[in-house]
Amino acid sequence: MTVPLLEIDDVTKQFGGLRAVDNTNFTLETGKLHAIIGPNGAGKTTLFNLITGTLPTTSGRIRFLGDDITDEPVHKISQRGLARTLQIKSVFGGLTVRENLWIAARSRYGVFAPFMSWRRCRKSNERADAVCEELGLMPHADQLAANLSYGDVALLEIGLALATQPKLLLLDEPICGMGPAETEKTVAKIQDLSKRIDIVIIEHDIEVVFNIADEITVMANGGVLAKGTPDEIANDPDVRTAYLGDDDDA
Amino acid sequence: MTVQTINRAGTLLLVVFTLTAPWVLPLFVDSFWVDIYSEILIWSLLAASVNLLFGYVGLLSFGQALYFGMGMYGVAIGIAKLGFGFWGGFGFGVVLATAMAAVAGVLAVRLTWHYFAIITVVFSLIFYFLALSWKPLTGGDDGLPFGMPPLISIGDFELTLTDPDVQYFFIVLMVGACYALMGRIISSPLGRAFVTVRENDLRASLIGLNVYMIRLSAFIVSGFIAGVAGALFALFGRYASANFMFYHVSGEAVVWAIIGGVGTLFGPIVGTSLLIVLREELSHVWAHYPILVGIVVILTVIFAPKGIGGIWTSLVHRFAGANAGKGGDQ
Ligand SMILES: Nc1ncnc2c1ncn2[C@@H]1O[C@H](COP(=O)(O)OP(=O)(O)OP(=O)(O)O)[C@@H](O)[C@H]1O
Ligand SMILES: [Mg+2]
Repeated sequence: MTVPLLEIDDVTKQFGGLRAVDNTNFTLETGKLHAIIGPNGAGKTTLFNLITGTLPTTSGRIRFLGDDITDEPVHKISQRGLARTLQIKSVFGGLTVRENLWIAARSRYGVFAPFMSWRRCRKSNERADAVCEELGLMPHADQLAANLSYGDVALLEIGLALATQPKLLLLDEPICGMGPAETEKTVAKIQDLSKRIDIVIIEHDIEVVFNIADEITVMANGGVLAKGTPDEIANDPDVRTAYLGDDDDA
Repeated sequence: MTVQTINRAGTLLLVVFTLTAPWVLPLFVDSFWVDIYSEILIWSLLAASVNLLFGYVGLLSFGQALYFGMGMYGVAIGIAKLGFGFWGGFGFGVVLATAMAAVAGVLAVRLTWHYFAIITVVFSLIFYFLALSWKPLTGGDDGLPFGMPPLISIGDFELTLTDPDVQYFFIVLMVGACYALMGRIISSPLGRAFVTVRENDLRASLIGLNVYMIRLSAFIVSGFIAGVAGALFALFGRYASANFMFYHVSGEAVVWAIIGGVGTLFGPIVGTSLLIVLREELSHVWAHYPILVGIVVILTVIFAPKGIGGIWTSLVHRFAGANAGKGGDQ
């Protein structure tokens, strides 16, 4: 058996009296597009926070490609090839799109080079331009990120992740707030990316999830309710009663 | 004309003025203004050290006078007590300031915003009182004077800062080197990382940047710059004094940086010039002139948060017909 992509081993996150993630266990394999769904407050984002090190775990272990990464510093986890977008979109507003992508690309070669000119870093320049092109952001390349439309900010954030050349990409509601055309374009992009990068996507749009995911993990109350192919999830009685049945959006 | 040409022309003008000031200034004003200009150049480095931290990395330090003071005392103690020569004393001051910044920085850059501001003040206060009370070493209230060793001495040929031209050009050279260094760093990958951390530190760490080390390196460079300023000021005044380590001095540097424009390389020179000239002209006539300074600061923060440097940038962009606000970080 190959090394699993991500192992969540008895992971718990306690906020005061609330167990946002409660003794959760699951394993994801490489080569699939994974989706995590679940009602608001299920603990999906918190789980991403634990995986990427932005919040300390209360207990349990997290392994990425066989290595224990539990509570490692955020930047070290990123350097391992684990990239992430945030539910509340987050880019470098005061920098142009190209400058945003440039620093993300440069992060792979180290930034502690105080005497070279940043404009002459060929590899990072090329990488930034390639990602800019790939995501169709070229028309906005010299615009400040703060002046982009919401959909373009979301795309740029995916671009930041891609520029770091990740092995695994965690997307937290990437199409939330996008119009229909942008949604279609972004979903197609994500499907395309999943051919070369492992992706875990948190998404509320059930239609999209069932369309693109190879495997779905359903979370509720900090735990895993079910895990399986879209067909298995659609026919799971627990899921139907606990989640799909009483979710108006579905 | 492009933005670059205008900015280059502005820089060239500043350089030409600085290089000819000892002859040009006395044609128009009293020759003591040459000394005042030397002082402005030195103090502008302290403002620049605030600017490097606040304008580029987003950390507001109210304790830069500590590193200035370390630079001063390093020179004075090195020359007066340890028998170092000119360069030994100068180097000792700069190394002491940089080392102090490295030690303080390890603790300080774990914090941000007001916590960071407070810890930088606390550090500087501790060493201010230490300098005041450790009389045998620092001279306490009276300060520590020293005799000026020669800058260069080969056979009969000797250069000393007691020659006003030597002193002026020594200061210009050192200050110029510091600005060249800062300009270099700002346009390097590390400089880009500074700005990235200022913009969004969570996102910076998520793309794999070690935010702590980036902030620490900015803090150390900034301590080094403040240290050079202090060392130069000790040589200029031939003494060191704890008065220059008081947080009042740090606060002034923050004011100079903000009025000059944070996040621009030469903003601090402009702010420092303006306020020191203002002080020279107004402090005899009106004892309460700091009220005016206070009002100017408040107006700047509200109406021109990027200071004079920011106003300059937007004027230049408008004049050059370029898109204002385009890639605004040089
Ligand atoms: N930093 C925090 N401090 C305290 N409580 C938190 C924190 N972050 C999340 N929570 C709580 O933990 C629970 C899980 O939140 P989380 O954001 O993980 O849910 P989610 O599944 O991502 O929901 P949504 O679909 O609405 O984004 C919620 O009750 C939330 O209020
Ligand atoms: Mg969430």
